[in-house]
Amino acid sequence: MVLGTYKEVVAARSTDKQIQKIAQDGGIVSALFCYALDEKLIDGAVVAGPTEELWKPAPTVAMTAEEVLAAAGTKYTFSPNVWMLKKAARQYGLEKIGTVAIPCQLMGIRKMQSYPFGVRFLADKIALAVGIFCMENFPFASLQTFISEKMGLDPNLVEKMDIGKGKFWAYTADDVYTLPLKETHGYEQNGCKICLDYVAELADVSTGSVGTPDGWSTVFTRTDAGETIFKAAVEAGVIETKAIDDVKPGLGLLEKLATDKKTKAMKVIDDRKAMGLPVPYKASSEKEDPLANI
Amino acid sequence: MSERVVISPTSRQEGHAELVMEVDDEGIVTKGRYFSITPVRGLEKMLTGKAPESAPVYAQRICGVCPIPHTLASVEAMDDSLDIEIPKAARQMRELVLAAHDVNSHAIHHFLIAADFVPENLFATAVNSVSEIRKTAQYVVDMVAGEGIHPSDVRIGGMADNISEVARKKLYARCKALKPKVDAHVELIVGLVADKGLPAGLGVHNQPILTTDNLYGDRENFDLDRFTEIMPESWYDDAEIAKRACSTIPLYDGMNVEVGPRARAAKFRGFTEKGVVAQHVARAMEMKSALSKMIAILAELDTSAPVRADFDVRGTNKLGIGAIEGPRGLDVHMAQVANGKTQFYSCLVPTTWNIPTMGPATEGFHHEFGPHVIRAYDPCLSCATHVIVVDDEDRSVIKNEMVRI
Ligand SMILES: Cc1cc2nc3c(=O)[nH]c(=O)nc-3n(C[C@H](O)[C@H](O)[C@H](O)COP(=O)(O)OP(=O)(O)OC[C@H]3O[C@@H](n4cnc5c(N)ncnc54)[C@H](O)[C@@H]3O)c2cc1C
Ligand code: SF4
Ligand SMILES: [Fe+2]
Repeated sequence: MVLGTYKEVVAARSTDKQIQKIAQDGGIVSALFCYALDEKLIDGAVVAGPTEELWKPAPTVAMTAEEVLAAAGTKYTFSPNVWMLKKAARQYGLEKIGTVAIPCQLMGIRKMQSYPFGVRFLADKIALAVGIFCMENFPFASLQTFISEKMGLDPNLVEKMDIGKGKFWAYTADDVYTLPLKETHGYEQNGCKICLDYVAELADVSTGSVGTPDGWSTVFTRTDAGETIFKAAVEAGVIETKAIDDVKPGLGLLEKLATDKKTKAMKVIDDRKAMGLPVPYKASSEKEDPLANI
Repeated sequence: MSERVVISPTSRQEGHAELVMEVDDEGIVTKGRYFSITPVRGLEKMLTGKAPESAPVYAQRICGVCPIPHTLASVEAMDDSLDIEIPKAARQMRELVLAAHDVNSHAIHHFLIAADFVPENLFATAVNSVSEIRKTAQYVVDMVAGEGIHPSDVRIGGMADNISEVARKKLYARCKALKPKVDAHVELIVGLVADKGLPAGLGVHNQPILTTDNLYGDRENFDLDRFTEIMPESWYDDAEIAKRACSTIPLYDGMNVEVGPRARAAKFRGFTEKGVVAQHVARAMEMKSALSKMIAILAELDTSAPVRADFDVRGTNKLGIGAIEGPRGLDVHMAQVANGKTQFYSCLVPTTWNIPTMGPATEGFHHEFGPHVIRAYDPCLSCATHVIVVDDEDRSVIKNEMVRI
């Protein structure tokens, strides 16, 4: 099961024209949070909000649709959202917290929930964890470096960034720049090399662009809570869906990329373990399924 | 003929202590001695040489019963040593946290004395009342100070963060809603204590009271020059007890004192009663004062104001004093910082003040009332003293000769 445990997978997008315009892909993350806020299923969401520095996000507690939308779009650098969860429950006084997280952050969240040391009364307040797919992430200085040095582009002119079809894409007001992904290798953070999770296997709902056409997202519902909220949002008409088998490129590509990521990562894990380095995963020899995320 | 009645350890209090009463033929106490048998608090020594920021983190772990007063006394001592003026909103948040802790802690004491005063048919009512009050009070501490037990967000120079406007309104509404519950609770407890019909004058003594502030604490009202500390050997007129007693005897103007809710009520709220019943009444009534203070602060806290001052952590070796009125009385921490490190640290914790007063307060009444006198102080021995286990295998402790539990 290279795509983790899930109930259903569909192609989906937000039906809201404004969200479609500003979101990274199908606007699933923003649409779900706006819907959940409206319906009081959450009373706030921790998102990667904007800061004074363009493309450098900071964890932000969004309590209105405007604040959710201000944080839409992917930033290819760290936003330590997990750190903000406790503050959301404490200083912000939230009791039903939503959060968006990349796979490694979800691991932290689930671990924190099962062993809530120093986070009393937080575990049960996380009402909706939306996971986004992730192949790798870059330190801010890395991102700036390859954009300005390899693409010859001032990062301040970039209006949208994306990864897809083997390339890193940067859109300015009137141009599109690309960089083959192999040119970005070496710039990602070191931990990503041992990361076994591509599709946010531990989320309530996980979503990403791969598998579906431009402007659409692939969505997995994984937990009861995630399924309930996603279905209600579809029912309410804020999200529209298509069967995954009816869209191109479909689940096959996702399976291939997830398998590649896990296979590559397992090799690095095994190598590092052989050298006696501490790695928070089992070696392939210790696992029944070498590609399992454990 | 005089006989000895020994209660060891005294029960329904935090930590271990012993009450030794000499009684006459009628069973009336002629001489009462109360002393701690929870040995050695090494905490101050652990703090010296460390960064000042470590102090509140360690000090709050002195005791799980009053971690909030220890945290506050610690940061106040550090603020003073480093000459920091904290922002107004930070001060309000600290006062809010302490008031909430007061409500919570007094409610816990009502658990401890329930067996003394609450009849069977009202037990569930009393316990539910305590639980409901604690839930809201602890929620306030959680939100404002980061954690209900070991608050992470009370910092040198103020607080880590202000709360949001949403949180302020939520807490304000909850505290308002708590008011009728606290009023009913106080009425219940005061009524039940009266119903018990304890003998008039039980626990009355002539020692002075010591308190620095109505509810928060004020270092200006604690005069270090008037404070002395003697060893148990020169206090207890019984060599065996003096040897086993594990806390020093703090004196103010050369006298042992009473600290706590009755002391505060007497000095700041015109309360004139004395003795066991008065202590219970003052403690219960203080829940109302604390709650009304919480409501007032939450009504006016500016959630956009800064809550942390900038400061130079190096220090000038000034002796800083943090004086906090904990639920059980005045908690003083003293700290000196130089070269960015804590040079000296000392705590004068609430129950230590009361210990020398509590024994004699049992005198003149039948020894069966002794435990009532002790529990009226809500003693907490854990912060008065601490064990250091030197060998985990056989659980042996430093100065093993002192422990007789
Ligand atoms: C580092 C990274 C790598 C990714 N790699 C892939 C990939 O290989 N394949 C793939 O299909 N999808 C990948 N994605 C996910 C994809 O880019 C979109 O974020 C996802 O499809 C959600 O789009 P949306 O339109 O539903 O979300 P939107 O409605 O646009 O909302 C996106 C949400 O993600 C949050 N967010 C943005 N950046 C971060 C961040 N760095 N950390 C945490 N939260 C953030 C935003 O605050 C916002 O709430 C990656 C995302 C990131 C952050
Ligand atoms: S690849 Fe894994 S470790 Fe790296 S950022 Fe993505 S989820 Fe985190
Ligand atoms: Fe204590």
